[in-house]
Amino acid sequence: MAGRKKFGLALWLAAAMLIATAGGASAAETTPIAQIKKVTGQAAVLRAGERRPAVVGDMLFVKDVIETGPDGGIGITFTDNTVFSAGPSSEIALAEFQFDSNDFRGAMLADMRRGTMAVVSGDIARSTPGAMKIRTPTAILGVRGTTFAVQVYGNH
Amino acid sequence: MIWRTIPALASLVILAGCPRQALFVVLPNAEGGGVGAITIEEEKTVTTLDQPYATAESRAGSTAAIAEAQGNISVIFRSAIAAQPILPHHFRLYFILGSPEPTPESKAAYRAVFDDTKQRPVYQIEVIGFTDTLGDLPSNQALSLARAAAIRDTLVRDGLDRQAISIAGRGKRDLLVPTADQTPEPRNRRVEITVR
Repeated sequence: MAGRKKFGLALWLAAAMLIATAGGASAAETTPIAQIKKVTGQAAVLRAGERRPAVVGDMLFVKDVIETGPDGGIGITFTDNTVFSAGPSSEIALAEFQFDSNDFRGAMLADMRRGTMAVVSGDIARSTPGAMKIRTPTAILGVRGTTFAVQVYGNH
Repeated sequence: MIWRTIPALASLVILAGCPRQALFVVLPNAEGGGVGAITIEEEKTVTTLDQPYATAESRAGSTAAIAEAQGNISVIFRSAIAAQPILPHHFRLYFILGSPEPTPESKAAYRAVFDDTKQRPVYQIEVIGFTDTLGDLPSNQALSLARAAAIRDTLVRDGLDRQAISIAGRGKRDLLVPTADQTPEPRNRRVEITVR
């Protein structure tokens, strides 16, 4: 009986490891970093090569890409209280995000590939100077606690 | 003199021929408070914008501050700004000495927290408890967590989703008002709540 139990456990562990390896999921990628708060028109989330419609209330993870169609818009709020909102025909990759809610320190990097986005910075930009960055195809933007907007033109 | 302006003019003509690649604008602070800054680095240029409606553009491998009419900025970013969710809001409630019971004033202030969640299509709530410095570390740690849990339980009793509420206790480690150890201080006996 005990032997069978052990075998069952080993099997279960092996299966769990297989799933973890196949999914390529590390702890960082399974912790939600933001929540979708607002959606208008067409908006989608690209995750591990799969595109799914953006739904209010859904969580977002590191490496997710948010996309909007020609009439779309999406608003998300990160766990550090940073707020992103994108207009139509936009594509933004949530490339890096770490945040410690105990001391409010962390780092974030978003890749703004095209479209328009307004940003209200949160705890990371406030507590860790230089730790919040937005990358466009040609430039990199550092944030010191502020509200701002970026437009990236499609013809670069 | 003319020989100096010709290359400058030539580079202007070249720049004008290159399409704009990106536009950066500092917006007025949404809910009051000071305006910070953004710094844009591209190849050899570093551009800092720190005033409302200060604008820069990327063109031909460099970024420079430009003048852009406020009206144009509003048009370009109208949809992005319209997609902005309700911003996160912060609340502070105070507690009776040594107790997980809010003060009478804070029971009234609690209503504002509850009402705020009702403005939002979806919400997440963080509740962090704190104590003053009276007593030892372990009992204050427990008390701070009990304060956060008390508020969470009230929110759940009022119909909010338990899964959307996280709680933590910081004991007497993070004082709002710095005091010596073993000092009763009403402003340190608190929970801090973020609704987003």
